[in-house]
Formats: sequence, structure tokens, C-alpha cells
Amino acid sequence: MTKGLMLDFVTDRMKEFGTVEQVRSNRIRIVTTMDKVRDAIKRSQEQLGCDRLITISAADNGRTLELIYHLTGPHRMVISLAIELPRDVPETPTISDIFLSAGVYERQIHDLFGIFFKGNPNLKKIILNEDWPENEYPLRKDWKPDPGKFYGGIKVERI
Amino acid sequence: MTVPLTCSQRLVNWARVKSPWVTIFNTGACNACDIEIIACLMPRFDVERFGILAKGSPRHADIMIITGHVTLKQASRLRRVWEQIPEPKYVIAMGACGASGGVFHGLYNMVENVDSVIPVDVYVAGCPPRPDEIINAVVTCLNLLKEDIAHGGKEWRQKKAFEFPAKETIAGEVSV
Repeated sequence: MTKGLMLDFVTDRMKEFGTVEQVRSNRIRIVTTMDKVRDAIKRSQEQLGCDRLITISAADNGRTLELIYHLTGPHRMVISLAIELPRDVPETPTISDIFLSAGVYERQIHDLFGIFFKGNPNLKKIILNEDWPENEYPLRKDWKPDPGKFYGGIKVERI
Repeated sequence: MTVPLTCSQRLVNWARVKSPWVTIFNTGACNACDIEIIACLMPRFDVERFGILAKGSPRHADIMIITGHVTLKQASRLRRVWEQIPEPKYVIAMGACGASGGVFHGLYNMVENVDSVIPVDVYVAGCPPRPDEIINAVVTCLNLLKEDIAHGGKEWRQKKAFEFPAKETIAGEVSV
């Protein structure tokens, strides 16, 4: 059985990216910023042995959009890299060239939250229907369906 | 008005009533309805004694059972599958989701009701309905089929004021 990562070990290697804290026994959270996140992911891949991306989770807390990259590896610890993005220009560099599976997660987040991942080569619709209107992101807190718009499916004229 | 039937038509009607083949279409259900349908097809409930067979292709089926609420993405697909079923065709909407949306009612990604996409003949209540109720729904469809044969078509029980959207209004072609 491989030994889990210790907090001191992670803090020693990742402290330049932001605050490091142990939130659970098997989870270490690192709060960083969006211009450092690519370097942080590369560093955790090289030095912490995180060879896998579990998922990218996104949330809208009302003020900013949050992204959390969950990484893991043979040590069975989860490294959560959290970043915050401004609501008006939600752009962040892609990590689909580091982890290939991240491309799909980024497409889903782009669909539902409208976060643009700069450099993702295939940022088109994956979850929503093909005829969903542009610039409508249904999982944002301030989104309301516009009754004048056609959201896809089949047009119905009730008599 | 009774229409005199030829011998071959009577034979076809007899065969239709004795062997309703169903196709199952999942329009975004949580799979509980599908599990109940599978339980219905298994030896315990044994629907084959009524001649009910589950068919993979809609072109072979008489009755379509749709499970779950209809999402915007599935609406055009559902319409296309329904168009492939040869007449006379019957549609059963299963569960609370099929009737009104259920727990998904009012969500951003769903069609308001199934009836705006395809005409539904029988709604089955329950979340999920028991296999007995599914068998009952299919048998109800067979009774409807018999009545339709007697009336010479489905028009006698359709709402007059309702017109289905023309084929052009179906959302764009599905790209591969």
C-alpha cells in the first residue's frame, strides 16, 4: 500500500501557488489563482505524483465563478486546486493539453456556466441541445429563461 | 358507421390484437421505469402470454412506451422515432414524468409535456408504475385498437382543436 501525501510535503512544494490546507483526511485544498493554475497542475503532476484528473467542478456563488480541479494519483490523496473567475470575463487557460480528459469537462462547463477555456480546440456544445441559443448559460444564478426566445426542441403552436 | 371488412383485413386485425409488439424509448428517465418494464418482460409477469414482445426497432412495433420526461434534446428524436412506427400506432407515456414532468417539472431543459411532441393514448401513473399497471396500459391500448377498428380510424377520439406542428418545424437535422 502506498503512503498518502502529508500536508507538510504538499505545503513545501505548492506554497508558492497559494494557501494549502487539509480539509479532510484524504483531501488537500490549494486556493490559487487562474494565471498560476496551469503551473500548479504541472507541478502536482511532476512532484506530487498526481497522474489523474478526477473531475473539474464549477459553481456560481453569486459574486464569482469557482472552478475546482480534483487531481489524484497512486497515493490515493485528492488534491483540489480551487480558482475563482470574475463573472464579467470568465476566461481561463485550458488544461486539455496536460490532461486529455479535461477537454470534455471543459466543454460541459462551457455549456452550462459560460466559462471560456482559452486554447481548448473543440469548445462546442455537448450537453445542451444543438439549437440552444447562444450566450445563455442555464446554471448561472442570475439566469432566467426568456419567454420570447426559442430554446430548441419542437415549436408548439397551441390553439 | 360500420365498414365491411374483407377476409384478409379481418385476419390482419386479429393478428394485431393478438400480438402487440412494443418498443421502449427512453426520453430522459431516471431508468426506474425501464427497470419496471424489464421486470414486466421477465417470466414472473410474463407478458408474452398476451403476445407482447419487446422490439428493438420502432419499424417492427405497434406500441411505443416512452419513459421519462422529454428533454429538449430528445424531442426531435422522439418525433422521428414516432414517425417510423407504421400505422396503427399507440403511445404509452409512463410514470409521473411522462404525464407532467414529475420532479423535473419546470426545468430549463425539458419540453412542457409529451403531448406537444407526439399524441399520447394512455398515461400510466406512478413513480415508477408497477409491472401490472404497464400490462394494464398495454391491454387498454388493445381495447382502443379494437374500438378504432370498429370506428374505422382514430379520428373519432381525437381533439378537434388540436393540430400537430408540420414537419418543417422540427428542430434542425442531427449532425453526426
